[in-house]
Amino acid sequence: MAQVELLDRDAAEREALHPLGALDLARRLPGLIVSAKEVAATVMHGMHGRRRAGTGETFWQFRPFTFGEASARIDWRRSARDDRLYVREREWEAAHTVWIWADRSPSMAYVSDLAMQPKIDRALVLALALADCLVRGGERVGIPGLTRAFAARDIVERLAERMAEETTRPDFVPAELPPADALAPRTQAVIISDFLSDPEEIATTIRSMASRGARGHLVMITDPVEETFPFSGHTEFRDVDSPARLRVGEAQSFRSAYMQRLSEHREHLRDAARARGWTFALHRTDRPASEALLALRMQLEAGQGG
Amino acid sequence: MLGLPLAFSAPLVLAALLALPALYYVLRLTPPRPREVSFPPLRLILDLQAQEETPARTPWWLLALRLLLAAFIILAMAGPIWNPPSASLNARGPLLVLMDDAWPSAPNWAERVNAAGERIVAANRDGRPAALLAMSEGAREIAAQDSARVTERLRTLKPQPHVADRMLTLPAIEKFLSAHRDAEIVWIADGLKSGKAEEFSGALARLATDRPVHLVRADRLPIAISATENAAGALETNLVRAQTQGAASGLVRAYDKKGLAMGQAAFDFGSALETKALFDLPIELRNDIARVEIEGEHSAGAVSLLDERWKRRRVGIAAGSTADVAQPLLSPLYYLRRALQPFADVREVQAARGDPILSLLEDRLSVLVLADIGVITGKTRDEVMRFVNDGGVLLRFAGSRLAGATDDLVPVRLRRGGRVLGGALSWDQPKQLASFPAESPFAGLLIPQEVTITRQVLAEPDANLPARTWAQLADGTPLVTAEKRGKGLIVLVHVTADTTWSNLPLSGLFVDMLRRTVALSGDTLAGGADAQAAQRVETLSPQRTLNGFGTLGAPPLNARPIPVQFTGSPTAEHPPGFYGPPDAQVAVNTLQAGEKIEVASYANGFVTEPLMLAAPVDLRASLIALALALFLIDAFASLWLAGGFDRLRWRKISRGAAAVLFVSLAALAFSGERVKAQGKPGDAALTTRLAYIVTGDAQADEASRLGLASLSRALAARTALTPGEPQGVDLARDELSFYPLIYWPIVATRPQPSAEAVTLLSNFMKQGGTVIFDTRDALTARPSGPPSPEQQWLRTMLAGVDVPELEPIPRSHVVTKTFYLLENFVGRTTVGQTWIEALPPEGADQANRPARAGDSVSPVIITSNDWAGAWAADQNGTPLYPLVPGGNRQRELALRAGINIVIYTLTGNYKADQVHVRDLLERLGH
Repeated sequence: MAQVELLDRDAAEREALHPLGALDLARRLPGLIVSAKEVAATVMHGMHGRRRAGTGETFWQFRPFTFGEASARIDWRRSARDDRLYVREREWEAAHTVWIWADRSPSMAYVSDLAMQPKIDRALVLALALADCLVRGGERVGIPGLTRAFAARDIVERLAERMAEETTRPDFVPAELPPADALAPRTQAVIISDFLSDPEEIATTIRSMASRGARGHLVMITDPVEETFPFSGHTEFRDVDSPARLRVGEAQSFRSAYMQRLSEHREHLRDAARARGWTFALHRTDRPASEALLALRMQLEAGQGG
Repeated sequence: MLGLPLAFSAPLVLAALLALPALYYVLRLTPPRPREVSFPPLRLILDLQAQEETPARTPWWLLALRLLLAAFIILAMAGPIWNPPSASLNARGPLLVLMDDAWPSAPNWAERVNAAGERIVAANRDGRPAALLAMSEGAREIAAQDSARVTERLRTLKPQPHVADRMLTLPAIEKFLSAHRDAEIVWIADGLKSGKAEEFSGALARLATDRPVHLVRADRLPIAISATENAAGALETNLVRAQTQGAASGLVRAYDKKGLAMGQAAFDFGSALETKALFDLPIELRNDIARVEIEGEHSAGAVSLLDERWKRRRVGIAAGSTADVAQPLLSPLYYLRRALQPFADVREVQAARGDPILSLLEDRLSVLVLADIGVITGKTRDEVMRFVNDGGVLLRFAGSRLAGATDDLVPVRLRRGGRVLGGALSWDQPKQLASFPAESPFAGLLIPQEVTITRQVLAEPDANLPARTWAQLADGTPLVTAEKRGKGLIVLVHVTADTTWSNLPLSGLFVDMLRRTVALSGDTLAGGADAQAAQRVETLSPQRTLNGFGTLGAPPLNARPIPVQFTGSPTAEHPPGFYGPPDAQVAVNTLQAGEKIEVASYANGFVTEPLMLAAPVDLRASLIALALALFLIDAFASLWLAGGFDRLRWRKISRGAAAVLFVSLAALAFSGERVKAQGKPGDAALTTRLAYIVTGDAQADEASRLGLASLSRALAARTALTPGEPQGVDLARDELSFYPLIYWPIVATRPQPSAEAVTLLSNFMKQGGTVIFDTRDALTARPSGPPSPEQQWLRTMLAGVDVPELEPIPRSHVVTKTFYLLENFVGRTTVGQTWIEALPPEGADQANRPARAGDSVSPVIITSNDWAGAWAADQNGTPLYPLVPGGNRQRELALRAGINIVIYTLTGNYKADQVHVRDLLERLGH
């Protein structure tokens, strides 16, 4: 029978570990660059060229001056070489914004002896590793409701710092879902959670986040125990978020019912994601974290429409 | 209960055991806690109803465990007692306790008194009076009294050194029994036949008729010394016992007149009733032995007293005629040798050693026997003369040479030639001996009729002849004459030592006469004449007698002098002990030589009870401990059933283990002085501090610590010494060499230290350390009684230690003057004696010195006054223990004694020299 453990909320200790783990993971992947298609309409300055003229630092092309343009834009040095007037254009450089949110609710602080690490550890590692990949790829990353989107070389440390700081607030209650604010168009959201709340509530949150056209990815972290229900005998189950308890005489008789409920729940989530064009992925903590990160990167790079 | 020595103080509680079946049903229906599992996706299935719910039952073994647990608690509540105190006997009348108080009851006297006391107190609980009769009291009137009086009388009883005739008490018992028809009889018997025990038991059974007689007897019967003989090779002690069971081996110790140990010998009965212990000592040492006793057997029967008769003399014999080896029966030496050998060491002339008499005298003889040597001249005569003047006995036998010519080394003037009786030319018949004169040392010896004298030498009829005659013939001619010369004695037997002149050498009288004569050669200083004078006294007054415990002491008031030729068993009037003047003491022993001790077989119908009842044991604590253990097992079993073990992660377990370890370490540190004792050895060396032995007895250790702390404060306040905090030391583990003084309160209930520890202690003492042994028993020990448990404990421990000779602190000892001028060393009590290493004997020039000291500090000081208890005070100086008799003065004196002793251990004999400082300065000034 699988052994499970609910971690105590020793947050400081855990989060001090994550930056290193996340960096480790992230360095194994090449910089994550979101496809240029996404960037067309954003005006924000970015680090990498969008292969079109725009505001930027690096030279892109000279084009003939068209009448009616401001004369200040004429590149006199080039124009002097022949008798036409040229305008110097620079490559448009802009960054993409990705909002990453990891669930830190009590149900995440859960580990069984089948898993490699607790769910919350895995979620945080994934979130921070993704942030690092993205920032190195030139994107801006933020945590909805906690930070603005920004890019910095020490993004991992700074995000971890902010999260740690948040947990020290006296009134801090870890939320099960990200704030349901509408995200700006053409931004992307990555939500890493065990999604063990009400599917309707999750669907509502997705709907409102995507109301302005933002796209997103749901990554469901799950413990192998939650997948397989390896219990038997006289057992009292205890919920972690609420005081609910369930005492069963023969736990094994509950397995089939549970599996059915679980797949229904996932179907709901998948439907809710698909309805807004979001993706849904499942990640078990007995699998390596890199697997999930690779999948996420593919998703992000694929860009999926625009 | 049920044949077991088990009783309940609250037996009604046992009825609760009936509730166990009900508990069984309740427990059976209450399943163990389920396994508890945290499960985040629980809300997915929270609304599901259980499809199949099998109610889990408590496993049978857990059920049994819990029922057992409940049963234990119920049993514990019922107050079970193992070996309950003897239930009061179903008698209503008074209790009559008959105590055997002869010496065989002495070894376990305390238990006997306890046994009697318990029964008297038990009778008192039932409102019955009691009466007590000791068997030595004879026909004393018996009266039933209340228990307090009887107990008081019981405490005053002491075992007697003699065995009294029990039959004498029968009239009194009969009178008592006829007055109290329903009396109950308890006889605390010693188990031996002596004192007519069997006849008495028969008579008692008749008197008691249908009344129960409880016979209380010890399992262990005494061992006694039946005789001691100074044999040729060794001093032989004959030991007897009454039964073959019990301890078969032990030690016999020999002491001289002053009580110093002379040696010890092991004995082993094996399966026999008699055995011998041999003291293989040089003859000079053997002759000094005055007392032999069985170690640990405190009774008069286990002591054998030795007087002059046991001394083994060295007797040299020489004859004028050359010994004919082929015909030994013709040689006087043969008869002398055979007669002397049983009680003396016989030296004979070795052929090739020059002058035979001179070479004999070199052997430091007591008696020199010269058979038929006529004239001694020259240097030999001078030497013999000197030998006699120094206290030797010269015993000469007549013969043809002596009859022919004689010298002046004879007691009387002799006529030449002698006379022949019953010969061919004589009308006389061979003469027989007349009875010995009263003042003769031979007085009392039986004269066999067949001894006849056919020839003798004659003495000139001088005026002093009758006074010098020890034995004479029927017609009045002297046969043995003697004269005191110097400190010694010259004895002449007027016949030969062989059978040519008489058949005296063939008779037992010859041996007896030789024995008496040799016995006269007392110690050379005292001189035989005093002994002779003593022998003439008709009665000998008691000097020091044995009490029932086998300790020598002043004779009791009813002791009377014994006749000179006293034989027979001691009685109340003649207790065993030493009689007569100090120089010629006569020993009377408890057991006659060859006497046996036999087990008595008592009359049928007596209820036999053991002497030592096993102490009652309260089983409550152990039952509750057992229940607690079961409870723990139950807790773990429940945890296991609920899968609790699986949830324990290793990290938690290790944390828990660390916590448990910490708690137990803390408990260890708290509970024992062991951890505390002497943290770092180096610290101890930095300051001078007093030390005490951690005995393990919390109260004694606390008293030592507080006492020494208080003494240290007094030292710091009054003297130049500022000692550190006193240190508790453990002999086995701590280095002792840092401490000048170690205080050791003796706690008799603690186990003896190991042999290594005693060796360390011995080394400490040899290296100049001083140990104060405080037996703290001044109020309980009796000077004449058996050693108190503390003394016994100390003796056992010091057996392996080289302890110097001790003496009570003399008034001139330097320790009485090292800081204060003290007269005695008091503690919590004042009556105890304090012993210190004996000083060397006073020299002539030291006679008036005010303070004397040996070369070093005494390694041992033994006191019984509980010094630490008197010193002990809290931080404010408030005394902690009451003093006896009490008063601040006594406390102050105790502190002064402590200060003097500490200063003594630190300064040694310095103060002894310091008293002369004025004289020294004056001399320097000149």
